[in-house]
Formats: sequence, C-alpha cells, structure tokens
Amino acid sequence: MVLTEAIRAEIQKWIDLYPLGRGRSAILPALYIIQREFGYCRVEAQNELAEMLDLEPAEVGGVVDFYHMLHTEPKGEYHVEVCTNVPCMLRGAGQCMDHFEEQLDIHHGQTTEDDRFSLDHMECLGSCGTAPMVSVTERETGKIRYFEELHSGEDVKAALEVIKTGNAFDVLERWTPDGDPQRTGKAAGPYRHGGMETRYLTARVNEPDSHAIDTYMADGGYETARRALNEMQPQDVLEQVKASGIRGRGGAGFPTGVKWGFLPEGSFPRYLVVNADESEPGTFKDRMIMEYDPHQLIEGIILSSYAIKANRAFIYIRGEYYFGFTRLVEAVKEAQAKGFLGENIFGTDYDLKLVVHRGAGAYECGEETALLSSLEGYRGHPRMKPPFPAVEGLYAKPTIVNNVESISNVIQVMRHGVEWYRGFGTEKSPGMRIFCLSGNVKRPGLYELPHATPLRELIYEYGGGPQHEDAPIKAVVPGGLSMKLLTVEQLDTPLDYESVAEAGSALGSAGVIVIDEGASMVDVALRTISFYREESCGKCTPCREGTGWLENILLRIQAGEGRQRDLPLLEHVASFVTGKSFCPFGDAAVWGLQSNLTKFRGEFIELIDATNPTGATPNLPIRPIYRPDVGSPSNVANNALEPTGDSPLNRDHVVETVE
Amino acid sequence: MSDELVTLTIDDKEVQVAPGTLIVDAAAAVNVEIPIFCSHPKLDPVACCRMCLVEVEGPRGPMLQTACSVPVREGMVVHTDTEQVQATQEANLAFILLNHPLDCPICDKGGECPLQDQTMRFGPGISQLVEPKRHKQKDYHISDTIVLDQERCIICWRCIRYLEEWEDKPQLALFKRGGATLIDIQPGQPVDAKTGGNIIDICPVGALTSKVARFGFRPWQVERTPSIDPHFSTGDNIRIDTRTYAIRRIVGRENMGVNDQWIADKTRFAWAWVNSDERLTTPLVRKDGELQPATWSEALQAVTDGLKRVKERQGADAVGGIGSAKLSNEANYLLQRFMRQIVGTNNVDHRDGGDVAALSTGIPSLAAVMQPQYGPPPQYDVIMLVGVDPSEEAPILDLHIKRAVRRSGTTLVIAHPRHIELTRYPGSYLGYRPGSEATLLNGLARMALAVKGEENQTVSQLTDDATDERLLNLCGVDPEAVEGAARLLVEAKNPLILYGPMAAQGATGEQVRNGLTNLAMVLDCYENLGYLGLNANSQGCRDVGVLPDALPGHAPLDDEAARTLLAELWGGELPTAPGKTYRQMLDAAGDDIGALLVMGADPAGERPEWAANLAQLDFLAVQELFLTDTARLADVVLPAVSWAEGDGTFTNCERRIQRAPKAVSNPASKAAQDWMILDHIAAHMGMQWPYASAQGVLEEITTAIPAYAGLDWTALGDQGVQWNAETVRPRPAYRRCRQDDLPAAGEGELALVTGTVAYDGGTLFRLTQAMRDMIHAAAVTLNPDDAAQAGVKDNDAVLVRSAHGELRLRAAVSEEIEPGTAWIPESLPGAPVGALLNGREQEFVTITPQ
Repeated sequence: MVLTEAIRAEIQKWIDLYPLGRGRSAILPALYIIQREFGYCRVEAQNELAEMLDLEPAEVGGVVDFYHMLHTEPKGEYHVEVCTNVPCMLRGAGQCMDHFEEQLDIHHGQTTEDDRFSLDHMECLGSCGTAPMVSVTERETGKIRYFEELHSGEDVKAALEVIKTGNAFDVLERWTPDGDPQRTGKAAGPYRHGGMETRYLTARVNEPDSHAIDTYMADGGYETARRALNEMQPQDVLEQVKASGIRGRGGAGFPTGVKWGFLPEGSFPRYLVVNADESEPGTFKDRMIMEYDPHQLIEGIILSSYAIKANRAFIYIRGEYYFGFTRLVEAVKEAQAKGFLGENIFGTDYDLKLVVHRGAGAYECGEETALLSSLEGYRGHPRMKPPFPAVEGLYAKPTIVNNVESISNVIQVMRHGVEWYRGFGTEKSPGMRIFCLSGNVKRPGLYELPHATPLRELIYEYGGGPQHEDAPIKAVVPGGLSMKLLTVEQLDTPLDYESVAEAGSALGSAGVIVIDEGASMVDVALRTISFYREESCGKCTPCREGTGWLENILLRIQAGEGRQRDLPLLEHVASFVTGKSFCPFGDAAVWGLQSNLTKFRGEFIELIDATNPTGATPNLPIRPIYRPDVGSPSNVANNALEPTGDSPLNRDHVVETVE
Repeated sequence: MSDELVTLTIDDKEVQVAPGTLIVDAAAAVNVEIPIFCSHPKLDPVACCRMCLVEVEGPRGPMLQTACSVPVREGMVVHTDTEQVQATQEANLAFILLNHPLDCPICDKGGECPLQDQTMRFGPGISQLVEPKRHKQKDYHISDTIVLDQERCIICWRCIRYLEEWEDKPQLALFKRGGATLIDIQPGQPVDAKTGGNIIDICPVGALTSKVARFGFRPWQVERTPSIDPHFSTGDNIRIDTRTYAIRRIVGRENMGVNDQWIADKTRFAWAWVNSDERLTTPLVRKDGELQPATWSEALQAVTDGLKRVKERQGADAVGGIGSAKLSNEANYLLQRFMRQIVGTNNVDHRDGGDVAALSTGIPSLAAVMQPQYGPPPQYDVIMLVGVDPSEEAPILDLHIKRAVRRSGTTLVIAHPRHIELTRYPGSYLGYRPGSEATLLNGLARMALAVKGEENQTVSQLTDDATDERLLNLCGVDPEAVEGAARLLVEAKNPLILYGPMAAQGATGEQVRNGLTNLAMVLDCYENLGYLGLNANSQGCRDVGVLPDALPGHAPLDDEAARTLLAELWGGELPTAPGKTYRQMLDAAGDDIGALLVMGADPAGERPEWAANLAQLDFLAVQELFLTDTARLADVVLPAVSWAEGDGTFTNCERRIQRAPKAVSNPASKAAQDWMILDHIAAHMGMQWPYASAQGVLEEITTAIPAYAGLDWTALGDQGVQWNAETVRPRPAYRRCRQDDLPAAGEGELALVTGTVAYDGGTLFRLTQAMRDMIHAAAVTLNPDDAAQAGVKDNDAVLVRSAHGELRLRAAVSEEIEPGTAWIPESLPGAPVGALLNGREQEFVTITPQ
C-alpha cells in the first residue's frame, strides 16, 4: 500500500465535496495530491486510487495520460515551462527559451543532472499581456507561480535566482524582474489594465487587498445578491438577465439568458458550472477577475444559481491558474463565514454549495461538454449534443455552463439595471467587455471598454500602437487564436459580434493578438497548428489526424522541403477538418490557417521558392513491415531498403521504417 | 414513446421505421449503405470516427450529421451520395489511412476487414502523405490471449465500449491524446474480463487479434461451421473455422435468444485440445497388465465379454453406465438405452445427475434476462442466485445479468458461501455457511410471508425451524439481512430465482429443492424458479434419461405411459428397480458394482478414493478423448471424437436444443463418435439398432421424449428450438424442507467451500498453451482473519487436512472469502479437492503451514 492513511483522508475530503456517489469527480484533486506526495503519478498509487473510487486502474491511467499537468515520470524539483504560444512567440518567447536552455545547460524536455530543474515548452498560460513568461511548479508542494516579463537573459537569470532561494513559493502572486528589484520573491501585483474612465468589471483590481471580502463589500459588494434573494423571484432574475442581452464571453457569444431558458421545467437538481478554463491563446481576462476580484465572481454565481434554481455550483478553473485557485478558495471560505454561501444564505431559505475544481492542463476542457466530462472525472472528451447540458449536463442533470466574465456581467445587470447595461455597446452586443490585447503592441494588457470600440482605437489609443517603430502592423487575430485573421486594412472594424463577423472573423473571447511585419506568417501558422495538434483530445478522426498532418506539412515547408502543391493540400486537409469534427475544436484548429493561407499566401510561396526552388519531394524510404514477428530480423539483408537518391517508386505511398 | 412509425426519405427512397431508429439503420432498411467504423449495433453510439457523415436537409440548408448517432425524425430528408458526402468520405478515409500501416498481407483481418472494404468502396484511391508514418506498438499483448497492434488501431472505441457497456470492466482505456492517442491497458493490469475476447470480433480493423488463432488462417480459406460452445450450459452460439483437418479459430455467432453475439474467452480460445497430440486415436485393450493398441473389433469384443461376464456373475445391477453432460443428446440417449435395454439396469447417471436435486425444466429463458442494445428490457426486476456463480460458471449469463442490473435496474439477491463477483452490485448478499441452504431458504420464506403480511398455516409450519437464532448460528447469516432480502423479493414485480448444483446436492438436496419451491410459491413466482446446470448438455443429459430414477423425458421409472412407449420403441422389458447414482456407483465400485462403462467422465481424477475403487472393478470400459486417470485404470479404452468432429445436438440450460454439426475431422485417427461406439457395442452384444447417423438417433429421441416431438435436425436450424417447460413441470405443492443441525467447527477448523471455476486445470482448458498462466492456481483461499489465525500468508505452502484426506496447496488470502470458510475450487491442476470430501453436506478442514 503506497497511499498512507493521511493521503487517503485528504483524498476522502475531496470526494466528500461532490454529490454522493460522484466520488469520481475527485480524481484530478486526488491525482494532484498523489503527484505532490510522490513527485509524479506513480502507477501503484493510481491503482490504489482506482480502488478507492471503485474504478478499473485503466480508467485512472487514461485520465492521468490525458492531462498535461499530470506526470507519469518525475520532473525536477522546479518544473519550468516556457509559454511559446503565438502571443508569447510574438514577444520573444523563443529567446526566453534559449536563455533558460543556456542558463540551465539543458535542452527543453530535459532535467538538470542535479534534478533541480526541468524545462519544457508550454501552451498558452493566460499571461499574454506580460509575455514572455514561464510558469514554475514546485514539486514538493505542487505550488505554481508565474514569472512574467522575462525579456532578457538578465531577467531569466533573476527569475532563476529567486527560485533557487527556495522560498520563491511563499508567495504565489506573479513575479516580474521590475517588480522585485531586491530579488526577494516579492509579488508584482496586478498586470496592466485600463479602458474607459469608469470601469465595472475591473473597478477594484487596483485597490490594496482587492481580493478580500471587506474590500468588495466596501464597494457595495453582495448587496445586489442580498436584495435579489430577498426581494425577487428566481424567474425575475432570469427575465432581467434575458432582457439585458448579455452574450457569453467565453467565445461563442450565445445569449446567457436564452441559455438559462433552456432548462427543462421541474427537473432537479440543477447545477451551475462556471467555465474558468480560460485557455484560448490571447485571452487572460478571467484570470484577473479570479486573482484580484474573486468576490465579484462569487456574487455573480449566487445570483445566477438563484436564477436557475441550482443549489450546487462549481468553478472549473484551469490547473495552471494556481494562484487564482487559492484566491478563489480563500474567497469561498470568507463568503461562507459571512453566510453568503452554504445554507440559508442572506437569511433566506436558499442554499448554495460552491466547489472550486482545478483542471489539469487540457485546452479542450474549455469546450462545455468536455469540461463536464472532466469535472465528472473522465478524460476531457466532448460529448454528443443533443442532449445539451441545459437538459443533461453534469451527472446527466440540467446544467448551465457560463464563462467567468459572463457571470460577472450578471451582477452589473442586476446592480445597475437592464436599461443602464444596454446603454453600453450595441443593440445585439450590449454591455462592456474586457479586451485582452497582446502581441506586437507597446502596451499589451486588459482594457475594459464598451462593445463596438473600433479595433484601431484599442490598438493605438490603449495599446500605444505597434511595438516597434520599424515594424508596422500586418495582421490581427480579433478573438483568440482560433479566430480568423484580419488584415491591417480591417483595423476600423468595431469590436462587436456582428461587425467582426461581417469582417470575416469572430469576436470570440476578445483576445486581440496583434502581429507585425517582423513576424513570419508561416511561423504563426505552424505555431498555431502545433497548439491544436498538441491539444486535440483525440476523440474524432479529422481533428486527431488532420491537425498532425497539417503540422507535419508546415514543418516540412519550414525545413526547406515544401512544394507549391502543399498549399492546396493544406487547404484541402483543413477543409475536411472544419465542419466534420466532433466538436467546434476542429473549426478552431484550422480557421487561423485557412485565413492565413488566403490572406498571406505570398509569404508561403516565397518561403517555398527560396528554400526548395526545384520543388523536389522529400526522399523517404519505403519500408512497410510484412513480417508477423516484427521484432525479429529478416532473413534477407536489409540494405536494399536504405534511402538512396531519387526513388523510382511512387512517393505517394511512403512508409518509414521501424527502428 | 409512440409506436407509430416515422416516415423519412433517404436518397429519394421513402422509408418507415420505428421512432428512435438511427439514420444508419433506417438507411440499411432501404439497402443504402452508410460507411461506419465506430458505430456498432450492439454498442452505444459515440460518433467519433466521422465516417458516417451524411447530409440532412434543414432550415439552413443541408447539414452534415453523423448517421450513427442521429435518430430519425418525421419528414427528415437524408442524402448519402451527394458530392459533399462523397468528398467527406474520401477525405475521412484518407485521415484514417494516414497513419495506418497497411500491412494487410500479414493482417488476420485481411479479407474480412471493414477498413479494406470501405477503402475499396468509399476511399480516395491515392494517398497524399509524404511524411513518415507515426509509429506505435505493433506486437503488444494486452492479455494472455489478445494482441493489440496500436498502429492498425483507428481509435473507434468499440473495444473500450464493449468492456464498459457489457462487461462493466473498463480495463482498456484511451491513453495519451491527440494524434498520439492510443488504446492501452494500465501498466501491469492485463484485460481479464471473462468475455474480453469479444473485442476481437468487433474490432473493425486488425488491431485486436487472437493470440491462439493469429497467423493461422486466411478468412477466405477457412470452412465455416455454425456450432455451439462445448463448455458452458448457456449453449452460446459459435462459428468454427477449420482448414486442413484443424480448427483455426472460433468466433461468436449471433443468437438473440441465447448469447446476443458474445461468447466467453474459454469458448473462443480454449480449443487446442481438439487438435491435441494427446488425443486417443486407436482403441486400447489391457493385455498383460498394460493398455495396448488394438483393433476396434478386438476392443468391442473385450467390452462385450467384460460386461457379459459381470452381468452373469453378479447380475445386471452390478453393471453401471456413466454418461456425461459434456456430450451430446445422442450419445447420452444411447448410453441409457444400452444400460436399460441391453444390460437391464437403471444404473445410469452422470456427474451432477441423480446426486443433485435439479429441476426438469432448467431455467425459464435466457432472452428474459437479456438487455440487448435494441430490444425489450429483461422481464425480471429482481434476480436471486442461490449457490451459483455465473461469473465463473456461465460467463454469458453473467454478462446478461450485469447488463440487466446496469441498464434496466434489476436488483440482485445473492445467497452464496463466497462473495462472488456479482456481489459488487447493490442488492442483498447472504453469505451462508455451506450445507445450511435448507434453513436459509425456510428463513427467507418465513420472512417473505411476514413482509407480505399474509397468513399461511402450511408455510408457517414448514418454516418454523428457521428461527432467527438458527439463521444466525446454523447459517451464519444475520436475520436482518435475510429479512432485507425477503423484502426485495416480495416487493419485486417479477423475481427470478436460480440455483446451481452446489446448493442442492447430496442427502439434503431434495430438502433444498423443496425449500426453493416453497419460497417461489410464497413469492407467487413458481414458474420463475430455475436450475442452472453447469455443462453444455446438463439439461439434455437429464432430458434423455441419463438418471437412475428417470426415463427419457423426465418420466419416473414407474410411469406406465413412458414404459409402454419405450418398450414399444426398443422392444423388450425395462428394469423397474431404481438405479444407483453417480456417487453411489463409484462408492460401490469394486463391491456391489463389478463393471462400469464410463463415457466422457473422469471420476478417478475427481476423488482419489474413487480411483482406488475403480481399480477394484472386475471390468471397466472407458470412452474418452484422452488417457485420463480413469482411462488408465480401464480394461478397454475406446477412442471417441469431440463435439466438433461429429454431428450432435445439445440442450442448453433454458431447454433449447441446438445443433453442433461436424466441423472438422482427423483422417489419421481411428476414433469414433460416442453414439456410434455404443451402437457397435450393442451390435456385438447381439442387438441391431437401427441408426444410420446421429440424425437417426435424434429422430428416435423425438419419439421417446414427448417434449421433443416434431423436431428433427433440419427443424432445429441455426438458432435451435426451445421445448415447452409446461409439458413436464410438476404441479406446485408445498413440501417439507428440514435439516439437522450441522456439526460445529472445531478449534482451527474452517468450512470447506468448493465449486467450479472457468479456468480450471481440466484437459479442455489446460491444453491451450496461451492460457496456461490463467489457470486457477492450486490454492486454498482464506479470509485474511483466518489466514492470520492459521499463521499463513499469501502464497505460503500449506497442508489442508479434512477428516477424510489431505492436500498440499498454496495459500491465497482474499476479502471475498467469508470468515470461517476455505475456498478450494474443483479440478485444480494436480489437486483434486475430492481428496477432502466424503459426500457430506459439510466438510471441515484445518490449514497447517508447511
């Protein structure tokens, strides 16, 4: 037995947080505990956990293997992961990785000989405004801290110095070189934000102890919920939200009130699940709310749960947001202590139990049905729709899944009224929005503005224009990396759902990524598709196979073996991923590439012409294995199979050998 | 749900189907084939392979939807052959083939591979891949019997879903993700589900192959014979593929009344014995103290002489015949005809025959327990199992029960001395002390009556012995648990009660059967009481009269109508005195019994004591496949052929008579079919029987047994025919059910629990090389507390001793064993538990570390 009584008791506490008989939901928290104890998810521990949860061991193993943050082999004492996704790439993540490799004297994917540091690439960590950055995990405690704005080798050195002191994890709030000149590990405070003069969603984040319940209550916090619960019927709250026209801030923009209206009458229990799995590259707004104003979210949850008559709510927060997670957990405790959560809240007969649940590294879990699978303790695969979550969601019960920012908007509506709310933005895109500005601008950050603010205004007025004077803006991703690219000619597009759609893209999560002339669009295409290849859940054929194929072709083009006919091939493959895959991930995976190929084809053609002028097809050996006993050597010599020169065989059927 | 049909249009053809039908099935109804990989008619849709995308017209124009997951709607218009659909099919196949190794020349699936077929019909015709293919494990063993080629795998989830939806043992899972996704087991945890091999049948590519069959056949070269499983009493339908006088593989065959399309791993993999070198190929006759090869006429003459000699010296009742529930109706019928007509004795029985108080009607029906993917729900809301363990004894019934529990909410009430696997489901478990069944059943009947709040003087009197105190002390069961079980049974709309031979054997067997009948009558479900025999022809063996106290058709020996019928059919007089049972014959062997004709049984291997008795016989003839312990003692050994090598019928536990036609033969062997051997012995003894074939014997059986009337080989078809239970079901009556107190366990004594396991050390299993490691170890399993008490740990060598004998075994420790008991299955390799038994209801053993 490797799980001690103490570990089992800790796991049991998590199991008890979920409804009776749904202990499987505790699988990720339990695996975090196991990983903390053993440094990785030991198979023996997995098997014992399986027994605790009444599962087959393979069910636990499959879950461990799905999530990026769970390891089946030990990592170093400090696991450094460099975000190299597009927004970070545009701001020098590549050099940042180089600095780490140089200073730690290892290649990425390796661990230092003294077992102190492991170094890896990482997908978007929700820190695009403070790129380049790394997240560091302390093996012994499982704590994670972000080290941001590491622009130079000096910055990287400073970060490593702080980590090496051994007490860099006493504080979990983000660290920057500028914010901590003494190298004591001091926190840097909230990252850059701004926007319209009076802000609502980000109103308090600058205040000292903005995360504390007292700060929130001093600003009228929880009064809206108190009033609503005491004076209004759930249906009235729902009607107001419907009337406000709030649209989902997660990406799809579906009207929140309409979604709530899909709940089947009289079917209970119901659940509210807050999607805090903010993983769309270029998006980092929910992180700010959870880290610096968590009570705003909790009050929104109370209002929303009341409106949909749910007595249990869950926040599914991405695993990398460890600091946000701790802030939420503290905030829930504070709210419970005040009687704002738990039984008979605000003196009414309404009960609400809120659980903060950490994911473990899977972009796909941002898709609502995959999120529910994950929350139930399965691999994060999307589920068939219908039934929609509102009818059969969490534990096959009616469930509403809403984004953090959407829920925060509910408070604004309930506090200031529908009319007031609709005064912002447009008829079909009402309200304010936290725009996430990243990439090649002078002042990347979060800007709270009304919908329909022109893209140009966001970039120039708030973002300070192009990052480098000599590199004008070339392209913009308006709504997170999934969305189609806009060209510089489209900078006057107002940032509301309809206008961006009209411009041929989508507002998505309002993650605006600015790309300047210094960047290669082939690099952007490759890094984008690499992300989707890495994050594809593997459930359906087109996405699983297509993303890998696209990446391979782009890798080959970059390696100088591209052919002009690879461009139509890329388009062909992409066109059979989009619309054919199981969930919207397939669309998200190729929209960027498709628009890139349409709008910046010249860059691809040029690169191919320059690196492979003859258009030669790469020479790969044909070596299928026709022996039943693949492991044993052939009786004939193998030398005939060596790749030599131009093969007379049809290259369209090449197969590489098995080592 | 409304029963009205839904009308829709598929490729301009109008079709009407039941509501809830999936588009893919509706299309099949009008001969429109929609390509599928992940979709399977026996599994829930998952829509992950995307092969079945078709256009469905909608308000916003035609939309691509997966035909395997979308149910039909009234007025739906579907197109499966538009340009868009075809382009999508081509592209999707290109995706699927992208990293597929295309090693079709050496792939077992080649020739019957959906991926090949669909590439042919719907594929793009050319690959545009220039990059190297992805590599994964190719020769990866996920169990002793199943090999996974992860490169061929197209991640359709069928195997995962089978294990999850049917077996409730998700031992395969997806690992990794994205393009690296693969099917795998947890490291060190091979698939051990008893029907796991079914995933080979449903794999749409050659990713899952059978270790015992692979590279041994090409699908287009084998001859395919529909047959039935020879191991289990459910009579699971199989197909035997043969080539060049050898079985090449066995696969499942659909029978919605029996096994759906699933078969047990033992059925699928354990057939090496048929083509084994250890098979007997020539008659043997003992000369100069040694068994020596002989001609058939020598051997037959020796049998004739031996039997005649003993009959003349000691009388007809000194001769006995032992049949086998593993052999066909035809063989068994002729054995009893031989004993009754030619020898003139009722000394004819088989193992678990006259020694067990069975029911002539078997179990009501398998279909009534089944929950197919599409079809009516099971008829029973509560299933009670008494001394029967389907997981080991009838794996396909186990599958049906699990499915009923999980999909239809059936509740289980389990009375068994061991915590059998099915106790993992919610319900009631009564872990009674072996031998105390009668009292427990009386307790249940008494409490059921109380729960119902009914008065019934008869029942109250019959069950007044089962006091709370006696339930606790004699049965070792908490009276409250008994009451809980009784409540479940009373509240059930339609409960099913099944018991096995373990619960009703020996002297108290009759009492137990009475107790079960009384309970069923109290619950108003007399017709739902069933007896589950354990062998492929347990039911048929009884039907054809291989019993010392019953004629063919379950007629009592003094049944005048039956006697007249048989006398006319056979000519001559039938013996009247009841014969000896299997155990009685073996106990009396060498004493009152002077000669035995043993067909397909190995009592010498079962109990050392019987081996000694058989050695004392004046004459012993054995019809066998192998030189068993019993055959080694014989004066004459007659080589027989297996179920696959001759025609025969078997009757399964629900009275379904099914055909097992000849599928294979060995031209180098002189072995003969059992019925034919008996026919020749009869001829040598001067009786000319009229049979030209097994079908001829069957014809006579249908005359001899009224319930079988009207059947013949052709009428049985490929799905068999059930005979009507009402023709022989006794009228319900409350009967006495009493038992004496059992002796109390002495210091350090444990009650011995024995029974059957699927993977035993018997010849039929042992000879399959690949499964050798799966054989149940020669071990005694103890509760942790008792193990500690005895001072033994897992895998310690121990001496197990009873008043009667001793065995050297390994110890195993498990929570599944009730305190105070020791579990030793039958037929363990080299360790006959019979050495500890002396035919009593309860045997105590002591465990001593060695």
